[in-house]
Amino acid sequence: MKKFFLDARELAHPEPLRISLEYLKEMSKKDYFYMLNVRKPIPLLELAKDKGYKLFTHEDSSENWHIIISKDQQKNLEELLDV
Amino acid sequence: MFNQGGLSLDQAPPLSVVLRFFVTASIFGILLGLFLLSQSLNITTLSSYSTQLIIIHTLSLGIMASFMLGALFQMLPVLAGVVIKTPTTKAMIVHTLLSIGVLVQLFAFGISNNSLLFFLAAAYLGVALFYAIYLMLKELIKIKTHSSSSKGILFTLLSLIFTTIFGIYLLLTLGGFTSGVDFTQIKEIHYSFALFGWVSLLIVSVSFQVVEMFYVTPSYPKSISKYLTLTILELLILKTILIIFSFKSTSITAIVSILFLIYATITIDRLTQRKRPVADATVWFWLFGMALFILSMTITFIGSFLPIDSTLQHLSYIAFIGFALSIVFAMVYKIVPFLTWFHLSNQGYMEAPMMHDVIHPKKAKIHFYIHIITIAIWLLTTDITWLGSLLLTISFSWLFYNLTFAIRKYIYTQKHCEKIEW
Repeated sequence: MKKFFLDARELAHPEPLRISLEYLKEMSKKDYFYMLNVRKPIPLLELAKDKGYKLFTHEDSSENWHIIISKDQQKNLEELLDV
Repeated sequence: MFNQGGLSLDQAPPLSVVLRFFVTASIFGILLGLFLLSQSLNITTLSSYSTQLIIIHTLSLGIMASFMLGALFQMLPVLAGVVIKTPTTKAMIVHTLLSIGVLVQLFAFGISNNSLLFFLAAAYLGVALFYAIYLMLKELIKIKTHSSSSKGILFTLLSLIFTTIFGIYLLLTLGGFTSGVDFTQIKEIHYSFALFGWVSLLIVSVSFQVVEMFYVTPSYPKSISKYLTLTILELLILKTILIIFSFKSTSITAIVSILFLIYATITIDRLTQRKRPVADATVWFWLFGMALFILSMTITFIGSFLPIDSTLQHLSYIAFIGFALSIVFAMVYKIVPFLTWFHLSNQGYMEAPMMHDVIHPKKAKIHFYIHIITIAIWLLTTDITWLGSLLLTISFSWLFYNLTFAIRKYIYTQKHCEKIEW
């Protein structure tokens, strides 16, 4: 299981979306994508949902968003949360 | 840019929706440049009044309204989370009526004494603009929790309603359909809503979200993003009432110009605090645009209290035009590469061009240099010169080339590249 990590907190639009889509295309079913962002990346989430990925989102106390995405519908994404 | 409203494949309008407006705007820009060139070389000899009307309305309707309506079709789902259903057909209707309306209006101004042309211009433009306003406003008023941008766009569209109503009245007066007893007052109200309420407020509203998102800057102060757009709309309505009842309204103009000066200064401040200050032509367009806005609003402020000569007045108008065009160019160079890449990428094309392949950043930089020289020449001469006109033609021709290059890339990829499922 490989973790594809992206810290997008200081990336200008649309870099986070572009890099995320590249990672999603590259990932195998066992892998997962972990993104940190200052805002909830609705476009990415909608696209991932549209393509049948499993999603988990969490806003921490510093108002950073943790986004976890996987192709594996059985995976418990909350367990992968790193706060 | 892509805030809580989100963007899904259903919500992102097809490329044609946006590009039909952008390409048309650049064609009107080329035509304006050629018209000014012919005027400066005495090839055409229209009266100064007709020339002024043609310049103002090619800029405000043919160029600015085309760019701004195209951008709104694309950005409303994004900035306000509202979706215009079947956008392709609706955009085509607005675009066709607007383009015909602008052309008819320009001929009406050029020929001057043809009543039918003035009537047709009022009809085409009225239907085009009111239909566009209706499509957007009916979705915007449904929003329960507005962002500063969505609220600002709503006020902008209200300003466009006033602009259009008074514009139709003026066209019908020029065509001899109304007596036009209040022509001068209505003209001042029409220009106030068009320049301050429509063009400036739209840029202000959009900037509240895009400056922070595109350039990773600190956000605007809450007091500005929350109250500025409403305050300006209220001031414009107050100004209208004062003008209608023949009171002096110069103090209102002064307050509006101060508010815009504060806004432009804050925008420059935010842009200079970018977390990753890389060389990017779109930031330069924003900075240059805001500097021109400051120049224009400073002259407007001074002109509210002191008599200013026509050179200074022209300087203010040119700076304002330069401001509006700078921001529009900045937005076009962000929107077009993104949309092209986004659509192709999500259609699953393996070799979808990256954003910098669609319009290379160097091409945007070249446009910035052309633009800055164009505006500098116009500011220095404050008159129609062959050099300024030629540069304007080159500027819009370069934009036209870049837009059609993006379209060709899109079509080529769809025709020749392999698709994958992901």
